[in-house]
Amino acid sequence: MIRIAHLVDDTTAGGVTRYLDFLRQDPQMARIADHQVCVVPRHAPARAGIDADMIVSHLAITWRGLPGLMALRARHSGLPLVHVEHSYSEGFTAANVTHRTRFHHLLRCAYALFDRVVAVSAAQAGWMERRGLVRAQALDVIPPCVDLAPCTALEAPRGPVRVLGAVGRFETQKGFDVLIRAFRSLPDPFLRLALFGEGAARAELETLAAGDPRILFPGFTARPEEAYAACDAIAMPSRWEPYGLVALEANAAGRPVLMSRVDGLKDQAARGNTPVTELSEEAWTDAIARLTEAERPEIDRSLATARPTRDGWARLVEDLLGENEGERLAQTA
Amino acid sequence: MSNRTPSATIVVPAYNVAETIGETLQSLLAQTFTDFEIVVVDDGSHDRTLAVVRAMGDPRIRVIQQPNRGLAGARNTGINAARGAYIGFCDSDDLWRSTKLAAHVAHLEANPQVGLSYSGSELIDAASRPMGLAQRPRLRGVTAAHVFQRNPVGNGSAAVLRRAALNAIAFRPAYEESRDWWFDERFRQSEDIECWMRLMLTTDWEVEGVPGLLTRYRVVPGGLSAGIARQYQTWEAVVAKLSRLAPGFVAAHAPAARAFQHRYLARRAISSGDGAEALRRTRAAWAASPRALLREPVKTATTTLAAGVLAALGPNAIARLARVAGRRAT
Repeated sequence: MIRIAHLVDDTTAGGVTRYLDFLRQDPQMARIADHQVCVVPRHAPARAGIDADMIVSHLAITWRGLPGLMALRARHSGLPLVHVEHSYSEGFTAANVTHRTRFHHLLRCAYALFDRVVAVSAAQAGWMERRGLVRAQALDVIPPCVDLAPCTALEAPRGPVRVLGAVGRFETQKGFDVLIRAFRSLPDPFLRLALFGEGAARAELETLAAGDPRILFPGFTARPEEAYAACDAIAMPSRWEPYGLVALEANAAGRPVLMSRVDGLKDQAARGNTPVTELSEEAWTDAIARLTEAERPEIDRSLATARPTRDGWARLVEDLLGENEGERLAQTA
Repeated sequence: MSNRTPSATIVVPAYNVAETIGETLQSLLAQTFTDFEIVVVDDGSHDRTLAVVRAMGDPRIRVIQQPNRGLAGARNTGINAARGAYIGFCDSDDLWRSTKLAAHVAHLEANPQVGLSYSGSELIDAASRPMGLAQRPRLRGVTAAHVFQRNPVGNGSAAVLRRAALNAIAFRPAYEESRDWWFDERFRQSEDIECWMRLMLTTDWEVEGVPGLLTRYRVVPGGLSAGIARQYQTWEAVVAKLSRLAPGFVAAHAPAARAFQHRYLARRAISSGDGAEALRRTRAAWAASPRALLREPVKTATTTLAAGVLAALGPNAIARLARVAGRRAT
């Protein structure tokens, strides 16, 4: 059996951790390879003893981490080395990076150490290509996934949209500040906005929502399907979003998503979701009003599956280890 | 009109500009880089603008007519009709030096990360004579903070953009049925800076200048200062919009940007001879961010001094002071 070591330096609850749980636990992923998650020191991933046929980095690339990645490449020079880019995208760069040329240099240096770089969305891959960050033949797209079974088990909501949900960390990235402001200007007393999550911006968001009893903060839930079950539709007014797992889960649960047109969300609009082309109160108020007053958009739940993720990994493993694996098995036989 | 797709499109918004658009179009038709089209958007003119454009008789000029939508709306219609991979803007009273388009096309082709290429400008008067003043902005290493505070792009006839960069900022308000927006048509002023800032805060296209005073930017002096307060309000509305896109960025840089905006409006008030307004704006500039103002001590000092002298002694004293100071413009 092929053994893949997935390197992480951060095991706090979040999209990457949930994705790794999926890779480890999904029965069909287990047919492709034996997936192990290795927690490594942030700037010294090579220090960990790794015994595997292939190494996949899920680490965030930084200047400080670059020597560690070089050491990783040197120590495992014979193994296929793959990087999955969870953190960076065009929207991230726009919102967070002052000196873009320098940042692009960092990514080029880091990505060059890997045999493959896996983008989490076609939009992110397009950005990598446009900026010349990765050689075209080393670039792959595999969307991330989580266990969707609890979401697909939910019944699709019926009737008009009454409860709009938002799921994610309370941070600038998610744009929940704009969502609350936009929601407040809708007069309908029967609408609800439920924000599921926790984070540094909680106090700020609560202040924005103060005095509007329609806006609820049920807190973080470790079982996201409970959040989707409580909502008729989901809003993702994100400022950047390399992929956006919430949209996949919401669609698997049959919930339509109002989404910013950024990064990976551009890929996900195709399932019947509604892109909102401006991050402004006015545009979001309009979009929510249309969603709640008109007929609910039809979501193609059959498109929200783990299949692209499983197929992507099967293809990648075959590309990198197909022949080698045959030889290795022959030698051990 | 040629059926071949031109490399570049120059969008010329036109509203009641029969007096000036002929000279503008001549300067564009004289470009040394020749693979371009001109899209004139007649934004509901009721003078002879259309006749003047038609009389040019050049197949590279296309005219689109629309009911008045304002400068941003005219530019958007031009972008929507543009076929070039590079799209430049020239207001219908400004002029381009003959090498301008060539310089920007070469710059954009050599620098695939640059989405907006601009140049400095020479200021000309109503008779197209050089006023001896220029906009000489920073050209390299331009960050979002630079654009927000000092707008190196400078004026509406300086920029040539890559089509792909414009595509990245297209949007469509719910009530708009015919085409996308690139410039925000709700703003009747500061629409340039809003667009350039949105480019910088939501995409990773870079903004960079090329050397030379390639735009000849017409300044008609003695304009009324009555619009200054409204112009400031519009600018604040733009800042409010940007603060939704990038709250942290705006919080960090708005004080300095506000100081420079007040100082700019103070200079406008000075040139229209309104001492009280100039003084008000100068005070507001100092209140917003002394530290930002002191980064450009000479310009700040002349503005402050001129506002004070104008308020105390009247316009004649200022004219003498300006001759002595030999300053750079705007």
